[in-house]
Amino acid sequence: MSSKSPSPSVRGQGGGSGAPIVLQIFRGDADAAGGEERFEVPAVEGMVVLDAVHYVQANFANDLACRWNCKAAKCGSCSAEINGRPRLMCKTRVDEFGDREIHVGPMKTFPLIKDLVTDVSWNYEVNKQIPGFAPAANEPVPYRMLPEDTERVYEYRKCIECFLCQDVCHVLRNHDDKSAYYGPRYMVRIAALEMHPLDTQKRTGLLHGKAGVGMCNITKCCQEVCPEHIKITDNAIIPLKERMATDVYDPVARIARKLRPGRAGQPSAASPDGLAGVTPAQRFAVKDVVRLKTRGRRFARVGRLLPNGKLEVWILHMNGQVQHWAGPKIVHASDVTNNYGPLDEVGIGSKLVEQYITEDHAAEQHN
Amino acid sequence: MIGAGGAGLRAAIEASAAGAQVAVVCKSLLGKAHTVMAEGGIAAALGNVDPDDNWQVHFQDTMRGGQLINNWRMAELHARESPDRVYELETYGAIFDRTPDGRILQRAFGAHTFRRLCHVGDRTGLEMIRSLQDRIVQLGIEVHMEVTLTRLLKDGDRVVGAFGYNRVDGRFVAFRSKAVIMATGGWGRIYKVTSNSWEGTGDGVGMGFDAGAEVLDPEMVQFHPTGMVWPPGVRGILVTEAVRGEGGYLTNGEGKRFMLEYDPKKKELSSRDIVARAIYKEVQAGRGTEHGGANLDVTHLGAEKIKKKLPSMYEQFLKLADVDITKQPMEIAPTIHYAMGGLRVEAETGATTIAGLYAAGEAAAGLHGANRLGGNSLSDLLVFGRRAGAAVGVYVREVGLGKIDERQVSDEQQILLLPLRADGKENTYLLQQQLQAAMQDGAGLAREEKSLKTCLDRILELRQRAARIHVPGSRKYNPGWHTARDLRFMLTIAEAIVRAAIERRESRGAHWRLDYLEKDPALGRVNFIAYNEGGQVKLKTRPVPEMPPELARLFAETPSPSASPPPAASPPKPQQVRT
Repeated sequence: MSSKSPSPSVRGQGGGSGAPIVLQIFRGDADAAGGEERFEVPAVEGMVVLDAVHYVQANFANDLACRWNCKAAKCGSCSAEINGRPRLMCKTRVDEFGDREIHVGPMKTFPLIKDLVTDVSWNYEVNKQIPGFAPAANEPVPYRMLPEDTERVYEYRKCIECFLCQDVCHVLRNHDDKSAYYGPRYMVRIAALEMHPLDTQKRTGLLHGKAGVGMCNITKCCQEVCPEHIKITDNAIIPLKERMATDVYDPVARIARKLRPGRAGQPSAASPDGLAGVTPAQRFAVKDVVRLKTRGRRFARVGRLLPNGKLEVWILHMNGQVQHWAGPKIVHASDVTNNYGPLDEVGIGSKLVEQYITEDHAAEQHN
Repeated sequence: MIGAGGAGLRAAIEASAAGAQVAVVCKSLLGKAHTVMAEGGIAAALGNVDPDDNWQVHFQDTMRGGQLINNWRMAELHARESPDRVYELETYGAIFDRTPDGRILQRAFGAHTFRRLCHVGDRTGLEMIRSLQDRIVQLGIEVHMEVTLTRLLKDGDRVVGAFGYNRVDGRFVAFRSKAVIMATGGWGRIYKVTSNSWEGTGDGVGMGFDAGAEVLDPEMVQFHPTGMVWPPGVRGILVTEAVRGEGGYLTNGEGKRFMLEYDPKKKELSSRDIVARAIYKEVQAGRGTEHGGANLDVTHLGAEKIKKKLPSMYEQFLKLADVDITKQPMEIAPTIHYAMGGLRVEAETGATTIAGLYAAGEAAAGLHGANRLGGNSLSDLLVFGRRAGAAVGVYVREVGLGKIDERQVSDEQQILLLPLRADGKENTYLLQQQLQAAMQDGAGLAREEKSLKTCLDRILELRQRAARIHVPGSRKYNPGWHTARDLRFMLTIAEAIVRAAIERRESRGAHWRLDYLEKDPALGRVNFIAYNEGGQVKLKTRPVPEMPPELARLFAETPSPSASPPPAASPPKPQQVRT
């Protein structure tokens, strides 16, 4: 497989050919019962299953249906079942099968359209039922979000919507219970929304009800097939199950969770190499405007930093367009989601034009 | 709205907000568009990392990168508005990588003076399209997935709808609308070694061309300097510029860091045309790597940083090429990446030269001139997607629905059905491969009159043969049938590219003529425009729009060795060019 005689590969220059690759590709559509058809394709070094399917399409069967776009495992279009395992065709090398025949078939959990193409529209319908990102109406733009608050969300947002996890999920596949469970993909999506530092929407009712997070029995098949290596079960479904359980069944625990000190006393992260103009992370300072996770996600102003790492804050109450800062209240540092910096530099929402600060509070500021 | 990439979705959001009733039509599933492939980031002068950055610097970088044949007004709007579009994207739920104090982190990129690219690791495009897609779903905008449109329907001089087919069952569909926005991307698929997916056939621009719209700068096709080379199965797949932005070195087969010679100041982070040409020259001089490319080395960054900042590159090379980029260099060579050319539009509104037709994103032209800077495409999508959407929102309030001409519909049906009925022998895929090979050989990175003329002959011959394509099977999800129609658009665009490339007898930006190595100041004052005259591709020139003095001054104050002087005060009159 290493000689370099040209061969008509679909993308790029042809490479050598040794023994041909034998593909058994499913052909058929919803109207007629289908079966596998055998094709021989010249081997090219580094060839992936999608290349082989394209070769078949160009040379033997122009009407062979398959979806693909990026050919670089970024779009999640070319999902199929290869030797029984849900995989992306563009990321599966043919040489990993050695001399064995390669069986390529459509995803079985979704209705067949034709050949390797299935009707995945159900997924898009599910997506429409999930309430989207909902920041507070007066959240100042541009957003301030600390790296430690955003990092956990990136894993969920890596999802390329290939629907392989949906394909392998027992609830959707074996029991065909699409009315009871949204499936792993949408647990990942809900997790991404729930963990977004600025989101205010509650989705635990949905999880308990229509989304059916309880249906998952944690076999972890979904995270095994994920081409983006998202730990779907461990990092999305299980935390959502916990969140749903506390919110729905255990109001006391819900309050406890909110009060539990998290990452109190954040050490300030060092500035990474050569970041000009970025002040080192100053987690909190007196006069900073912050956002609370608790107490209705109100804005507050830091009045004092207490030696035990807690903060004394004054909480913003709005009366029409008039601000009133009530306090002092003591909160944990972990109860704060955002720090917008000193009051002088922050306009809290464009509606605020006046500012009243009580006498004694003003005096304290000067101390 | 045709196309559901960044520009199409952003335009749909805006048009919907303006009260228009919007339908998005796309060839693939929602969220699979080519925007997803964008890796490095989105350029916006936020000044979060380098506080000296501002829109004027971004504007200058863009104009210089485009060798001053850009539309200055588009470059200005783009540089001014992209920061707001980035912030806005976060209100849709996107989360960019962050500075320690919680602002958006920015990285260095080729030919950007400052660190300017907002990014999410190396999957910025995915973040962007997912955020826009979620917004579309939230707003309840109608989306028609896997529907291909192939003909704009006109009532007199006005575009009043579009006609095509449903990919799944092959049924014909017609849309009656007051306006159409083309956000159909580029035409990288016309070439053999490309980072583009099957969708990049230039069909939207081809449709606009057929309907009488002007195609600007077709000869300007960008080679991305770094595509994968080996093994052959992965040839052309993109290696993000972020690899160099994060500090990767380019070395030739002899291990020499050759960019120090070609551009001692910007080195690896020079503009894409310069880096791509440098790699080509090294290979031509016999200093290439084993498979005819150069090495891109990040091993000095350390495994941890590579896996954090370039996770998908690490994965891509490990899986597809058996190369561990934390230990070995990547072998790369230039790959077709982006079309600077496209439908000629008005800067403020995205309106094309025919009423009712708008364009945004890669399908539109003008912003990037002769060479696009990395990261400027994603901001282009948002800035001009929004503008086109807003303009359509206004336009549809002023006009009524037009009349659908049945004859145009039945004409297009005939064209579509021909390959299924014809008793021809031509294989659509093999013709497509021959076109790709012809363009790669004749109108690639290095061009000359002779190779371009040979290429034109081959295109015209392929055009004859395309009429005799036969496709087996039915209309039901038949990619061969789909390709047969796409091929017609590809041939039209290919002809426009080659005709304009022949006429631009100079080297400028991405257009490199071996027989005219220098810039010609006279040609630097014009753009080439391809237009449709009785089904033939004709060419004319148009003066580059003249910059107002306050912007022209920016170039006088800070002269750059690579920049040519701004267009002279009296541009030549439009003239007809022989074709």
